[in-house]
Amino acid sequence: MQIYLPIAEVSVNIFLILGMGGGVGFLSGLFGVGGGFLMTPLLIFIGIPPAVAVATEANQIVASSVSGVLAHWKRGNVDFKMGAALLVGGVVGSTLGVWLFTLLRELGQIDLVIKLSYVIFLGIIGSLMFGESLRALLRSKNKVPPKRRQHYWIHGLPFKVRFKHSKVYISALLPIAIGMLVGILSAIMGVGGGFVMVPAMIYLLGMPTSVVVGTSLFQIIFVTANVTILQSVNNFAVDVVLAILLLIGAVIGAQFGARAGAKLGGEQLRILLALMVLGVCVKIALDLTLEPNDIYTIGQAGGH
Amino acid sequence: MKMQKYISAIIALTMGAMFLAPSPKAAEPGYIDIDLSKPEVELTASFDGAELLLFGIHNPGTDVIIVVRGPGLDTPVRRKERVAGVWVNSDEIIFKDVPTFYSTASTLPPSKILSAKILKRYEIGVENLNLEIENSTVSKDEIKLFSDGLIRNMTNVDLYGSDVSKIIKVGKQLFRTNLWFPSNVSVGDYTVTTHLVKDGNIINTKATNIVVHKVGIEAGIYNFAHDYALLYGILAVIIAVVSGWTANAAFRKG
Repeated sequence: MQIYLPIAEVSVNIFLILGMGGGVGFLSGLFGVGGGFLMTPLLIFIGIPPAVAVATEANQIVASSVSGVLAHWKRGNVDFKMGAALLVGGVVGSTLGVWLFTLLRELGQIDLVIKLSYVIFLGIIGSLMFGESLRALLRSKNKVPPKRRQHYWIHGLPFKVRFKHSKVYISALLPIAIGMLVGILSAIMGVGGGFVMVPAMIYLLGMPTSVVVGTSLFQIIFVTANVTILQSVNNFAVDVVLAILLLIGAVIGAQFGARAGAKLGGEQLRILLALMVLGVCVKIALDLTLEPNDIYTIGQAGGH
Repeated sequence: MKMQKYISAIIALTMGAMFLAPSPKAAEPGYIDIDLSKPEVELTASFDGAELLLFGIHNPGTDVIIVVRGPGLDTPVRRKERVAGVWVNSDEIIFKDVPTFYSTASTLPPSKILSAKILKRYEIGVENLNLEIENSTVSKDEIKLFSDGLIRNMTNVDLYGSDVSKIIKVGKQLFRTNLWFPSNVSVGDYTVTTHLVKDGNIINTKATNIVVHKVGIEAGIYNFAHDYALLYGILAVIIAVVSGWTANAAFRKG
């Protein structure tokens, strides 16, 4: 059954979109990630214009983050003070990101920047995650306790604030800077940015893992909401019909994924996730480096 | 879709019956008249391309060529170049007023009944489209490479095609053909130009319009998104928040 998307201006199969939402939702439930980094490339692959894919995915992530944060909130795993600091940076960063997105779109370089950002960030995060999980697996066999709370130069930054819930005493500039970087990525890549924020919170801020996911989801809600509104105003690129179809699939898929995830071990899950992240990274890197079918392409058509 | 075919068939039959009696007018040299099953294409939620029936009456012993042209837009064409191993958009040429859709239909292949010069002048066939650019500092060969690239890209997505459908002659004076509009057509005013060809010359030309527009909820959402962009964005966020909340509540119970 085909449905014509009013903003994307293409006709797509409803079941394909629901299936994609379900599949990515399953993986996001399984691994506890947003799934934007999988969904946005998939949407572009099936012929949704990149600008619409990025903007609409931001809208869908709002829904999945709200759903996720409620569960963490109930268990008291959201540090609102830290979330607020991340959010300040996030709003600035995402506003800057949407502005950059609009500019790059006019210059005809947005596709390249989207793809390069994917290759760089997925490559770094995937490799780090893979290495870390391997080491953790080996550690658990050798029973060597991990080292924590090392002192870096970042602990010497000014404006130190005590974040009681996260049990850290750090400069407020740090979460603001992290939030800003993630906000830019969110606007350009159509992702929530959890895959960058979660490791940054653990390794740079030294937050306990229990509050990391809930706090990052809390920040992601507001940043992606900001991106959705700005993309609607600047680029008219949010397709609500597409977003609703995606989130129906994603919500159902995520429930099954979460159940399946409970049966698998944490370290195995992280290795699988790392492999998947690296897989997407390699696929996009090949797109960029292999000779395209046609070196001539048509850009965004303008007025008369 | 089936319903549409039935309606088309009924219209064709009725028109046929009307014209079956020899029309004195059609006997006049250079006479041609056309009409469409519907002067519009409606983009509804279930739109997946549409077919319109075009029928007409012409002077016997002549051939007919139909050209359908979508609204014009200034269109940038970009060429990729390898920079440090990565394919990057480098050069760009903006063509003026490029038709967003182009297709032809004819009783005989146009190149068999008209000279190359006339085909070029009347822009019959994608290769004869007059694609112009604003600044003329670019060399002719270069423009040709880019315009060929543009046509190739448009053909790949089914928006351009030459002689995609055949005009069927019914009896001596009647003809009909189906015009196909794929699901990715742009909204706007389309022109349908019908040329009457005799002895290697175009002896008469008739034009009519087709409006492609969004209707119903599609039009509503599109217009709302453009006219009240801020409100649309806020509503999109509210829908997402409510859905997420509902999903969480439903899961807790289940």
